[in-house]
Amino acid sequence: MIERIKTKLETLDCDAWELTEANRRGWEFYFIRHRLDQNRAVEVKSCSVKLFKELEDGRYLGSASGTIPPTASDEEIDERLASILYQAGLVKNPYYTLHDTPVDIPAKTDAVDVAGIAENFIRAVRGVAETESEDINSYEIFVNSITRHTLNSNGVEYTCTYPSCTLDLVVNARQEGHEIEVYRFFTSGTCDADALKEDIAAAMQCGRDRLKAVPTPAVGSVDVVFSTADAVSIYDYFLERMSAGMKVHKMSDWEIGNPVVEHAQGDRISLEVLSSLENSSMNYPVDAEGAPIRDRWLIRDGVAESYYGSRQFSQYIGLENTSLVNNVRFSGGSASAEEVRSGDYLEIVEFSDFQVDSMSGDIAGEIRVAYWHHDGEITVVSGGSVSGNMLDAARSMRFSRETRQYDTHVIPAVTRLQGLRITAAAQ
Amino acid sequence: MKAPFSSYLDSITPALRELAGKLDSQYDYVSILSTDSAGFSLAVSQHSKSVSNSNMTTERGTVVRVCRNGLYSEYAFNDLDPDRVEQLADTLQAELDRQLRLLEATGSEVYETGILPDEPLELFVEKEAERLPEKMDLSELVDSFSALSDAGMKTIPGALDCGLRASSTHISKLFLTKNRFLRQSYVYTEGVIFAYAPNPDGELRTVYEGVSGCGGPEILDGLKEKLEAAPQTMREVLGAEKIVPGEYDIIVDPHAAGLIAHEAFGHGVEMDMFVKGRALGADYIGRRVGSDLVTMHEGAACAESVTAYAFDDEGIPAGDVIEIDHGILRTGICDALSALRLGTVPTGNGKRENYAHKVYTRMTNTVFDAGNDSLEDMIASIQNGYLLRGVQSGMEDPKHWGIQCILDRGYEIKDGRLTGKVVSPIIMTGYVPDLLGSVSMAGRDCSISGNGACGKGHKEWVKVADGGPYLKMKARLG
Repeated sequence: MIERIKTKLETLDCDAWELTEANRRGWEFYFIRHRLDQNRAVEVKSCSVKLFKELEDGRYLGSASGTIPPTASDEEIDERLASILYQAGLVKNPYYTLHDTPVDIPAKTDAVDVAGIAENFIRAVRGVAETESEDINSYEIFVNSITRHTLNSNGVEYTCTYPSCTLDLVVNARQEGHEIEVYRFFTSGTCDADALKEDIAAAMQCGRDRLKAVPTPAVGSVDVVFSTADAVSIYDYFLERMSAGMKVHKMSDWEIGNPVVEHAQGDRISLEVLSSLENSSMNYPVDAEGAPIRDRWLIRDGVAESYYGSRQFSQYIGLENTSLVNNVRFSGGSASAEEVRSGDYLEIVEFSDFQVDSMSGDIAGEIRVAYWHHDGEITVVSGGSVSGNMLDAARSMRFSRETRQYDTHVIPAVTRLQGLRITAAAQ
Repeated sequence: MKAPFSSYLDSITPALRELAGKLDSQYDYVSILSTDSAGFSLAVSQHSKSVSNSNMTTERGTVVRVCRNGLYSEYAFNDLDPDRVEQLADTLQAELDRQLRLLEATGSEVYETGILPDEPLELFVEKEAERLPEKMDLSELVDSFSALSDAGMKTIPGALDCGLRASSTHISKLFLTKNRFLRQSYVYTEGVIFAYAPNPDGELRTVYEGVSGCGGPEILDGLKEKLEAAPQTMREVLGAEKIVPGEYDIIVDPHAAGLIAHEAFGHGVEMDMFVKGRALGADYIGRRVGSDLVTMHEGAACAESVTAYAFDDEGIPAGDVIEIDHGILRTGICDALSALRLGTVPTGNGKRENYAHKVYTRMTNTVFDAGNDSLEDMIASIQNGYLLRGVQSGMEDPKHWGIQCILDRGYEIKDGRLTGKVVSPIIMTGYVPDLLGSVSMAGRDCSISGNGACGKGHKEWVKVADGGPYLKMKARLG
């Protein structure tokens, strides 16, 4: 398909173009308990096109994107391209240029062993130790081999094949006729069986503890500790505010060379982009626009060092050599996890949904399981909610020197935000 | 005009029939769903503009469902060559057989299920739309959105940006089995206008209003009217205080009522969760879960919204189910396979994110019925509470009936009057039967909205709509 489209683009009155062809081969297995509910195979091809048109003597650049189905006839391809080109003329954005540096990274074309990875997932989940009181309710395994071929009218071209997997899993814990569930959603490159078993065991522990939880008491404003995947939302607040898109749209006022948190008294954030990360589900080293993703700092020792983003928004703020981001690492802090967990605090390990809004800084989530550490005692609590705002919380934020990986993110293993508001659960 | 059914799907129908015929001899059950949905997405703001001929529901592809020896399997693809159907049938069987060998190697047992019913049914539905998204000249829309964005910047206090986003899709779907041949074509459209500005603490606050419905891009004309309320809403949000956490008497607006409907007894009665033993609702059929004022409908046939299809992705005609009748939980909603397993009937709620995704039981229109109270009477009845407007997000907990709704803003009510004080944002949490059991007044008029999307767990995004009247209840706010 991509060659057919390239041929047609040669005669089209556009000033530039980008093409991405993505082929996905997926195997999916759905289990209820350990019985197979359904198996599915997916073979999907997609071709996305972006056409550019210079407007008003090059002061502006119009662009429009679209998809061309693999079943499209020559006539339909012509119609779709003509429509996209027309729409490009309607969308008047300040001028920018496409990437024009040939990619110097070798193509990744090694085949992904979809069947082998799927087998590893099945065996890993089967290998989890279940008991009469804690077991696996259901799970869904998605294993994908994705091949992306990206090219543009400036001669930039790159092909990459990579694995991308998901395990959607529910565990149950029960006691005296009362049963609860814990939901987990894991994404990764391939199957890390040992890490999965550990995480599933932790989910079972969480379920066990929830069974003995009491309603979250009225504790007012307290320090809250995050030590699960929910903490990624806290760190994404920093990542997203360093994006050129947020900067251009005036959603972020962070400036290069300035501290990202004013009057910071806690640990200072350091954030780096990684070109690859072991077992990440997004290990392709060239972004969707053909820019190599290089290792580099976005924030170092609490000071903004570089933005990242699309070619368009990056150029709008004067950046040339940047890219979109797949994998990131936040450095650890000054204290150990044990030290971060000192004194009184509420460690929330399970939310209904935990959100940190990168625009407003709002922090919000309903508590499903938390450990209330108070006067040397630990009480398992459930219900109620936590709220606050990162503009305040980031000033005194502390995090452990130990780090851990959640798919595309490496973040401190334990994070502490001071003075978040806790709404008590109904008694 | 009628939204015409896809000529592409018409053109491949003989090949799909041939494929089904070849597979019929190999499997106990065969169905095929083919989709061809075209549309656009458009975003205009002060800082950038973008347009595309794709959005979250545009697609073209096919999924084949087969059953052999009690195991249901699917093969999804999008490169159908009508001249090579035999090869396609071989590829499909070979790929599924490879999976079966892996399952045998891992000793996987099968959740054996009977054969789906296949009573004869033919259906051809083309719904009305004034305009078709794929035929629309977007220059008119770009101009009107740009004008509204400029107007918003002039009128909305402190706005750093005022933007508009819209998408519209002309959906065509074909479903066939040995005995069924169903075709449908309809258009849905949605759009939002939004603006954001910093409050005195430097926190960016956003206001937004949306329009949506079953119909063409003409629905977007309503955005102009929505802009009129934005300046006042922004003033309120920028001056908002933090709420003092606690339990309050509240009134929720129809949007927030819709979010509660969706999170409370939408997800909670998706019956594929019953099959897995993941929903408490299974044990509460016939029991009280709300006050007498709570009656809740669910189904694609309930309203002409963004999800008003004629049949679902398993070839089951759209339904209209009364889930809660005057506080009593009557039934859930069910996809066809789950219905077979549970020994009940499907309700037309089997939906896929797109052809390449599995079917799950999913919501369509989830709506509380209206009551007989006026908003003025509701406000007058509250000594200390809030009128809650606008929604941000929600999350359900079907196993334990916890609920979390993040709402935009609360208008303080003291001694039966709005005081003018506004709080924002608000996290409403609670136990669903307590929340619905506390409904003590219901407004006379319902409205339904369908902006945004709903996931199952953290994936499988589909269009849904929800709504209701103003409702008075008690809830914990933080």
